[in-house]
Amino acid sequence: MLRTLTRVSALALAVGMGTAAAAQDTLTMWARTDVQNFLPQVVEAFNASHTTQVEVQFIPPGELVQKFATAAAGGSAPDMLSLDLIYTPAFAAAGQLADLTDIAKALPYFDQLSPAHIQAGTYDGRIYGVPFSADSSVLLWNKDLYAKAGLDPEVGPGNWAQIEEQAKAVRALGGDVYGYYFSGACAGCNAFTFLPYIWSQGADIVSADGTTATLDTPEVRGAVDLYRRLIAADAVPPSAETDTGSSFFSAFAGGNIGIATSGAFAIGILNTQYADMNYGVTYIPGPDGQPSSFGGGDNFVVTAGMEDMTAVGEFIDFIYSPEMQKLMAEFGSLPVRGDVAAQALEGLDTRYGVATDAMAKGRTPSTVVYNDIYNSATGPWLQFLQESFYGDDVDGSIMIAQETMQSILDGVQ
Amino acid sequence: MSQADLAVKTRRRMGSQRRREMAGLLFVLPAMALVLVFFLIPLCMTVWMSFHNWPLMGAPKWTGLDNYAAMLKDRRFWGAMEFTIWYSIVATIAIFGVAFPLALFVERPGRTTAIYRTAFFLPVVVGFGSASLLWAWFMNVDSGLFSPAAVAMGLTDEPVNLMATTDGVFWSIMVLVVWKTAGFSMILLMTGLQSVPHDIIEAAHIDGANRFQRFWRIKLPLMRRTLALALILSVAGSMLAFDQFYIISNGGPRNSTLTAVYWIFSQSFVSFKLGYGAALSMVLLVILVIISIAQLWLLRSPTGDAK
Repeated sequence: MLRTLTRVSALALAVGMGTAAAAQDTLTMWARTDVQNFLPQVVEAFNASHTTQVEVQFIPPGELVQKFATAAAGGSAPDMLSLDLIYTPAFAAAGQLADLTDIAKALPYFDQLSPAHIQAGTYDGRIYGVPFSADSSVLLWNKDLYAKAGLDPEVGPGNWAQIEEQAKAVRALGGDVYGYYFSGACAGCNAFTFLPYIWSQGADIVSADGTTATLDTPEVRGAVDLYRRLIAADAVPPSAETDTGSSFFSAFAGGNIGIATSGAFAIGILNTQYADMNYGVTYIPGPDGQPSSFGGGDNFVVTAGMEDMTAVGEFIDFIYSPEMQKLMAEFGSLPVRGDVAAQALEGLDTRYGVATDAMAKGRTPSTVVYNDIYNSATGPWLQFLQESFYGDDVDGSIMIAQETMQSILDGVQ
Repeated sequence: MSQADLAVKTRRRMGSQRRREMAGLLFVLPAMALVLVFFLIPLCMTVWMSFHNWPLMGAPKWTGLDNYAAMLKDRRFWGAMEFTIWYSIVATIAIFGVAFPLALFVERPGRTTAIYRTAFFLPVVVGFGSASLLWAWFMNVDSGLFSPAAVAMGLTDEPVNLMATTDGVFWSIMVLVVWKTAGFSMILLMTGLQSVPHDIIEAAHIDGANRFQRFWRIKLPLMRRTLALALILSVAGSMLAFDQFYIISNGGPRNSTLTAVYWIFSQSFVSFKLGYGAALSMVLLVILVIISIAQLWLLRSPTGDAK
């Protein structure tokens, strides 16, 4: 409906202006504000070189799903979305998305596209989402504090023992300076940054087929114990326990934290807004150094019901062009196309290289109940983290979370 | 007067009575329309939704009583319900404990009374959302007010992270709620106190009743209806608490301050299960109606006249 209207109005405009040009097709697109840094530039470049015009509207991330659901029910959903990739399975399962399999597989560089995005974008063997923006989880370390603490400022932590040792050394500086930071009351932040500690050991909290909760493993217990030791050693500031995510970035940017869990997005903000900050970027390591990362970011999806996909195909091909990949990298999104990544990152901060490599190693949980299990402030994941990091009964809290997760997974079948 | 005349007169009287009834109906019609559109229809839709597996996106499926059956096993919901009832009891006692003395204090007209009334009522006009954001900041262990102030005054050596414990969150929110709503109950109770006829008080005074007896035996029983209103509003408001817990504690730490409405919101808009959320809402509504009826019954007039 909206599309027809915009088409009609574009036609009226073209006729009104007395031009001989063909009717312009306008595609509407919604995106979460997280991609506001670079999407306008991409769209502007696309509109300047194509007859089809894209119109973007930005929505706060917490409201996007509800707003889309309401709009879809009322027949006024946008044509396209830049959608947090973890929601792709849920949207596809609800029949809201157009099948992009043919368009995606026709791309000559299809096998070079970020596997984490494609995996999250695949539902029932068909592709509903293709990579748009990318953000991987990494560790940041403060080189100035490392130097003050007598550590080598050029070498960040490479395994769990080093994380502990270096965090404690930084904490020994005393006062408000702490060794390690994570947002203890933020479910999403810890899916992004704590899951890799479990993945790096070859384990996961949900079985590969998505049917069984597997929290009750030595690997999960090992990662929990790492955090418990850091907390017990007073290396983590007390405020971390109740941080619902508001200090996820700012705690490290404040300059009093030695090591912080974070994401590639932080590189862009630190470089532009905290130019004095002297920091390094490294992988989230396993106990013996095996790196892991959460492949996050947005998938590009199309609302179900679109008939002519030509313009969409053009837009998809356009965002994967080396120029656009470079443009997006400059504004803080990692390249999502492997064969042009090096070219896109050329001349940019070398720290992006680590984050891009982490992205390539990255994993993304793919489940229609992502919100229930991981993201919800009232869900089993956050309760498990808070109880097992700060509570007295680790085994008990693992058992309860395992049961709750299992009942959510059982509800899907 | 003939029989026919009488019949005409009676008809006329009946006609005018019917006209009056019609006029009355016309007057309440707009209000009835509003109740219908904004209460009854949504209520019926909620009941209808509660019998479906109704996802936020996609087609609803009729599931009969499945949602209600699932609720019986929903430990989180009953835990939230228990917390909400406990919270409502404490909040109501705390609000009345503060509002009643305030009402007695500002009841009698005086030169400064208006200033006090305004001052005590002012927090009521602050939205719950804004007040909660303010409190969330006050409670921040590093950059807030409570903990840094306690450290600065030497009350404690270590910073106190109020958000980290259930008691810290519960009592901080309790202070917020009392600060925010006691003014409203105060105004209600004040009008109740003022509505007690002066001559009765005077008669009691002459009969030798002291100040406490006048309050306990005369004023309090005579303002029963106002008490019932203030009590029902306070309990219903507390049972539906959401904003302050959503904004300040996210239901934490570890889901220990999860209220019933927060769980309904979470099921509907985080887990996308609108049908289940609707079923939970219906149960909460029934519980609330039962509690309200019980309160009206408890505060009924001993003579049995209408409240």
